[in-house]
Amino acid sequence: MSLRRAWHRLLSSWYTRAHWWATLYARWGLVPVGGAVVPWAAPRVPFHHGRIALVTAAGVHPRSAPPFDMENPRGDASFREIRGDVAASQLMITHDYYDHAAADLDVNTVFPLERLRELAPLGVRVAPRHFGFMGHVLGAERERLTRETAPEVARRLVADGVTHAVFTPG
Amino acid sequence: MGLIAREVEGHGIPTVALSVLGGATAKTPAPRNVVVRFRLGQVLGEPGAVVQQRRVLWDALGAFALIAQPGGVIELSYRWKRSTYVDPLEPGSGVS
Repeated sequence: MSLRRAWHRLLSSWYTRAHWWATLYARWGLVPVGGAVVPWAAPRVPFHHGRIALVTAAGVHPRSAPPFDMENPRGDASFREIRGDVAASQLMITHDYYDHAAADLDVNTVFPLERLRELAPLGVRVAPRHFGFMGHVLGAERERLTRETAPEVARRLVADGVTHAVFTPG
Repeated sequence: MGLIAREVEGHGIPTVALSVLGGATAKTPAPRNVVVRFRLGQVLGEPGAVVQQRRVLWDALGAFALIAQPGGVIELSYRWKRSTYVDPLEPGSGVS
């Protein structure tokens, strides 16, 4: 592992525990991105009659897929497909910007696919595909996210007949 | 994450975004936002805490009916281990 990655992991381990610092940073250190107008789509069906997809920024991906690029200081705007019937044991996390020790033990702490499947008796249907991003994207990678990868994921969700999407952070 | 949610919503799919940092949510809100006062990396709850995770997910899904304005935010009242989590699958929980 590079010195840079080790440093980011050490830092993320600290601010994951020092929640007050992360809270202050979110409030004062982050700058707004995206336009002032927030789009809106009214649900066509109640969620308990819908087909639901998960999209996560927690760096979750199948073990068989390439890991996210942790060497680019601007992050990695790419995404990984996650099958709706995948076993949790076949998932892993590549993300140096938060401490994912808990999620390594149980990926449902950030990507609740097993919990979603368990809601079937209440009428919830699970989409065939879900999507994993790595939430640290800056500069050119953020541009790539907004121009290429996010629209591509949106098109795939539409193609799958998804009625509701739930987003989870790291 | 708010950026991706906005893109998906723009394609006609309603979205809700969970967050543990209300400040970050306020900077770039998704169309619907649910803030949970949990730890970074554990927005659904503790490892192995199946009922806790299922309840938070169910409440997040409930935001599709509760939030009526773009960028709207609701905060769940749970306080980690100090709260009681009613399993939505439990008979008599009010949802099954």
